[in-house]
Amino acid sequence: MNRVYQAASGLFLVLALYIAAKSLTDLQFYTRLGPGPGFFPFCLAIGLGLLAVSMFYTATFGDRQPLALDFVPDRAGLARLAATILAIGAVALAMEPVGFRLTMFAFVMFLLFAFGNRNIVLMLIVAFAGSFGIFALFVDLLKVTLPIGGLGI
Amino acid sequence: METSQLLLNGFATVLQPENLFFTFLGCFIGTLIGVLPGIGPSAGTAMLIPVAAVLSPTQAIIMLSGIYYGTMYGGTITSVLVNVPGEAASAITCIDGHAMAKKGRAGPALAVAAIGSFIGGTVATVGLVLVAVPLAQYALKFGPPEFFCLMVVGLSLVTGLAGKSLARALLSAVLGLLIAMVGIDPVMGAPRFTFGRVELLDGLGVVPVLMGLFGVGEILLNAEKRAAPIIKMSLRSLMPNATEARQSVGPIARGTAVGFFLGLIPGVGAVVPTFISYILERKLSKRPETFGQGAIAGVAGPETANNAYANAALIPLFAIGIPGSPTIAILMSAFMIHGVIPGPFLFQEHPTVVWAVVASLYVGSVILLILNLPLIPLWVAILKIPYSILFALILAFCVVGAYSLASSSFDVGVMLAFGIVGYCFKKLDIPLAPLALTLILGPLMERGLRQSLEMSQGDFMIFFTRPISATLLAVAAVLVAATCLNIARSVKEETEV
Repeated sequence: MNRVYQAASGLFLVLALYIAAKSLTDLQFYTRLGPGPGFFPFCLAIGLGLLAVSMFYTATFGDRQPLALDFVPDRAGLARLAATILAIGAVALAMEPVGFRLTMFAFVMFLLFAFGNRNIVLMLIVAFAGSFGIFALFVDLLKVTLPIGGLGI
Repeated sequence: METSQLLLNGFATVLQPENLFFTFLGCFIGTLIGVLPGIGPSAGTAMLIPVAAVLSPTQAIIMLSGIYYGTMYGGTITSVLVNVPGEAASAITCIDGHAMAKKGRAGPALAVAAIGSFIGGTVATVGLVLVAVPLAQYALKFGPPEFFCLMVVGLSLVTGLAGKSLARALLSAVLGLLIAMVGIDPVMGAPRFTFGRVELLDGLGVVPVLMGLFGVGEILLNAEKRAAPIIKMSLRSLMPNATEARQSVGPIARGTAVGFFLGLIPGVGAVVPTFISYILERKLSKRPETFGQGAIAGVAGPETANNAYANAALIPLFAIGIPGSPTIAILMSAFMIHGVIPGPFLFQEHPTVVWAVVASLYVGSVILLILNLPLIPLWVAILKIPYSILFALILAFCVVGAYSLASSSFDVGVMLAFGIVGYCFKKLDIPLAPLALTLILGPLMERGLRQSLEMSQGDFMIFFTRPISATLLAVAAVLVAATCLNIARSVKEETEV
């Protein structure tokens, strides 16, 4: 686990340096009236940097912590994880041009398949409920706005 | 107007059929969320915020409050029946609740948990009425420096949410504050960290961020594992016998006290009261060896403490505007969407909303007591739905929740990004609760700091020369020091073992 914490603290340190630099260059640090827009982010970036250094120090010089057995998922778990992330990403991109109902229908079908479902009738019922059903519930009943695509669906 | 008169007006509002429906709906959805493992109260409440946005403030907040305390009831059902806590606070109930279920006493375990929750929740609501108003009146004396220092106290309480590492909890808190910095600067109107994106000018939406961290993050974590098969458990009688009833009275009374007093302290979290109550009951028991074997006191105490805590935790929110947990932070954002700002002015500016919410806590407790027991077979049936189907549908609801508040698919992307962050944080054992709290408190804190420094023309001594702000800063320092000492002591004990 120590190496993972070392890598994470490196990332946090880079983030802290970036925010500190951005606060000083792009934002006003102090004004005539008091702290400017860059003051608070700069102070926080310094805090983040110090905490990242402390995390790195503990990971390097502290007790050895073994990596948890389930820290890295197995191949099937990794595939399900990647499928879920890709599916949500695709929804974010497709929902407005294609429309909520069609996008979510494809999303739910894909996720069910990725999670090992092979019963096509069940998949269709769940996908229909997760797309057209949710649309009817939120838009028609609760008056929430959801996107309608180019096909009018 | 007298408090009792205002409370009666609150009851009159809640008991209107439409409002009663939303109280019922909140309780029902809350129980469902509590029942389903893999979706906690934070994600569940966040998911329903877009729906709440189209309702009136009273209906919206009544419904979301119902979800909040409903989850506390729902989590018990899975703990007892399938040994899987629906939400973290019910984890301790697994020990004796499930042991009782294995002996065929699942019904009495659930009944005692429901009755204890009802008593704990009701007593805590009475406490809320008695404590919140005087506290809010005192907080009316606060100016920007006092508010800033109050936020510092709130943030120092975040250290109480530190798990094994204070540094990781603080890191999470700082990241939350930094995320809150995105958008237009509240004093000078300058855009910060927007990268030229119009969507970021209003900052990152609290709902997509929290839904990502708590909802999507949890689902990603579950997605990599194969879900364990659910054990079938039969339910015979719900009635506890005379011995079980007698053994539950003391734990319910003590659980109420533990939950209520810990609820007054922001940052304690719902898990702590349940564990303290369990330990207390085991210590006080004449037969401590029965704990873990199906002792009813091990169910009655923690479950009562859980619900007493849930209602008492609303006191700091209503009176001083400090959310004590991520779920209450989401509830606070729902208040703010409707222009209702929790804090000292809440009781003065929005009496109708706030007293209706307080009355709904009583009404909701009754609804949950009635709803829970007869519907247990329904919740058990829902638990038999395969995880893959539940995950797909929960994610579909998350997408709706993230999108619909601002009608922006950018927010779906934000939810996904923070889902990945939440997943990584859980893997790294970095607590998410400090991030959620500072995300909400960050803008208020920055405004307080900058207004104070404008008042003093840049002199930081303003915080030390005013008695209330100086006292609050001293309290914050003591809290941080106490947490550091506690962590150091537990690390020392661990190394000695």
